[in-house]
Amino acid sequence: MANQAALLTEVFYALADPTRRAIVGRLGRGPASVSALAAPFAMALPSFMKHLSVLEKSGVIRSSKDGRVRTCELSPKTLGRAEAWLAGQRAIWEARTDRMSAFAERLHQQELEREPGPQRPRR
Amino acid sequence: MSQDRNAPGAEPHDLVIDRLVRAPRPTLWRAWTDPELLKEWWCPKPWTTEVRAFDLRPGGAFHTYLRGPDGGSSDNPGAFLEVVPQSRIAFTSMLLGGWRPATPWMPFTAIVTLADEGEGTRYVAKVMHADQASRDRHEEMGFFDGWNTCIDQLEALARERAPG
Repeated sequence: MANQAALLTEVFYALADPTRRAIVGRLGRGPASVSALAAPFAMALPSFMKHLSVLEKSGVIRSSKDGRVRTCELSPKTLGRAEAWLAGQRAIWEARTDRMSAFAERLHQQELEREPGPQRPRR
Repeated sequence: MSQDRNAPGAEPHDLVIDRLVRAPRPTLWRAWTDPELLKEWWCPKPWTTEVRAFDLRPGGAFHTYLRGPDGGSSDNPGAFLEVVPQSRIAFTSMLLGGWRPATPWMPFTAIVTLADEGEGTRYVAKVMHADQASRDRHEEMGFFDGWNTCIDQLEALARERAPG
């Protein structure tokens, strides 16, 4: 599970950016060359390449070069659909449970402050 | 910790999430069962939760509608299956209020249990998903819409967890 958590953190950050999400969305329909991927974005190529590099480092996508054409595709290892599906669900439920825990603990503190016990000094 | 975690046994595509919370059981129960409180923690900021139905009894509707900062949304109708005050809530996306069948993009049943442990509460959420075959079938039926919602939520999570 620890490996999965670390992987998820990487994937979170990779997907935290709308450009990168759009790239992943596009690659969900099949592999594409860098120039085809970059075309819809009003962005200098070096900036676009940075996004690709974050995605590739996180393992979300992979790329290969054939002559002068670099082609990108979703990495089946990281975003294998079933795994991505379950990993996404786990991330959502883990975070939800963390928020619930933190919220209940704050609520409890408020409850303690509101009902002063006999040993609690009055202010 | 060693007791059965919401038997029957866990399948590979089940999630079991387990926390020891430093608050008494009635406080957790309140956080979960008061919709005004639930919406404070149900989804990650800056997403917001609208509780469209919260009829806390078996067969009662449990419907949340989540909104993202950039116009994204996630509609999650469902129903409660079992409610044991102060200790257990089961709910599903596969039924609506009044036991009406649903065809959710994400079929699941979740069971949350609360138990006293020391000064705090042991909170266990078990989320059971449909088997691989129905998941694959689902995928053909438009999985990507659902996956996009997932990615939206992941994005929100990432923002929430980002330092600073």
